[in-house]
Amino acid sequence: MSEKKPFVITLESDHEPIHTDPSDTILESLEKHQIEVHYHCREGFCGACRSKLICGEIDYTTDPLAYIDDDEFLPCCSVALGDIKIKLV
Amino acid sequence: MKYTTFNQTPTNPLLEPMFFGNPVNVARYDQQKHSIFEKLIEKQISFFWRPEEVDVSKDRVDFQSLSESEKHIFISNLKYQTLLDSVQGRSPNIAFLPIISLPELETWTETWSFFETIHSRSYTHILRNLFTEPSAIFDDIVVNEQIKQRAGDISKYYDDLIFYTQLWQTQGEGVHTVDGIAHTVNMRELKKKLYLCMNSVNALEAIRFYVSFACTFAFAERELMEGNSKIIRLIARDENLHLTSTQHILNLWQKGKDDPEMAEIAEELKDEAKAIFMQAVEQEKQWAGYLFAQGSMIGLNEEILCQYVEYIANHRMSAIGMGQPFDVTSNPLPWMNNYLNSDNVQVAPQESEISSYLVGQIDAEVSASDFDDFDL
Repeated sequence: MSEKKPFVITLESDHEPIHTDPSDTILESLEKHQIEVHYHCREGFCGACRSKLICGEIDYTTDPLAYIDDDEFLPCCSVALGDIKIKLV
Repeated sequence: MKYTTFNQTPTNPLLEPMFFGNPVNVARYDQQKHSIFEKLIEKQISFFWRPEEVDVSKDRVDFQSLSESEKHIFISNLKYQTLLDSVQGRSPNIAFLPIISLPELETWTETWSFFETIHSRSYTHILRNLFTEPSAIFDDIVVNEQIKQRAGDISKYYDDLIFYTQLWQTQGEGVHTVDGIAHTVNMRELKKKLYLCMNSVNALEAIRFYVSFACTFAFAERELMEGNSKIIRLIARDENLHLTSTQHILNLWQKGKDDPEMAEIAEELKDEAKAIFMQAVEQEKQWAGYLFAQGSMIGLNEEILCQYVEYIANHRMSAIGMGQPFDVTSNPLPWMNNYLNSDNVQVAPQESEISSYLVGQIDAEVSASDFDDFDL
């Protein structure tokens, strides 16, 4: 069986694009690359890590309770379904 | 419209607005107009905790070893938090329940307020442990000038909404004179008062607690007052959830997903709502000044605490479409995140080590690749 392919997260900042580990949430992937993301609950209910999803698709590992706008997502409880481009709020 | 505890006219709660529609009749949760409130109720109930489960006895020894200025910081914060939860333990019920039209929002409000009473009870638990006679602390909350100033701003929007709702529900729309003062009561005015009140509550849940949380966790970073810190972590987790609910309400209004008149009012009162938030930020910064007036504490000072308030305010304000008015881009107190992470909040607070319940936990997630090494 083949390994899951890592996806690329591009940030709308000077930071180099990073590769995800398919088992990590997007927040964990960002943290592994020393990218500072504001977070509190890490469970999708506080909304502290709310970020913009510019392009690409994500899926939630937990149903997010925090308020998120149409173009936003929560990195703490989501995984990338392909290459994505995001902007940290 | 007169309030009734059981509205006998059949209504369809799926078509009602959140507020100022028909009074709720059947408490039913099989269907929801706004399912988020049902989800918040479930989440909040899953967080249930009791202050007595947290052992605060070691804090008494720690407290004796604090400097006078640190004692002032610790006790003043507890007083302020006691005030905030005294208000929040009753006000959402009294102000919002009489005008709510959705069963899921009604129960969310009751659940929310009930948890604030647990917070109030935990302050008594903490203070009773520190002082043989804690009365002087509680008595000072009503007379302390710094706290009174905040109490006025916090309760005035609630009081205004409650008073006008009472006039409307007993006398209907019109101009009513009470104690020589004429009050114009109509639906537009009531909705405006509700909008401002919700913004004030949102600001309270969003930032008013955070200066005192930061001080509590700064003590915990030095391994001091850890029982207190465990309780505050549980409170912070609840407050995060309460904030989520007020953010949802404000956004449902602003985006026209509930009462269309509230969307108009949100636009009309945009500047006033923002001013309420900015005033709360200012008061929190002044509070930091008052706390450190008698001397600083290790790991924290007024300047860094004010930066943290601005940093948090940026995030909270952008969540409700108010932009990011402050020029702080990185978190000045990164260790705060560890205390606000719900993984680090103990589910069984009687265990003294925070991560103990994660030790030996089994990862139940199995992916297809886990079987790669198997040969049959």
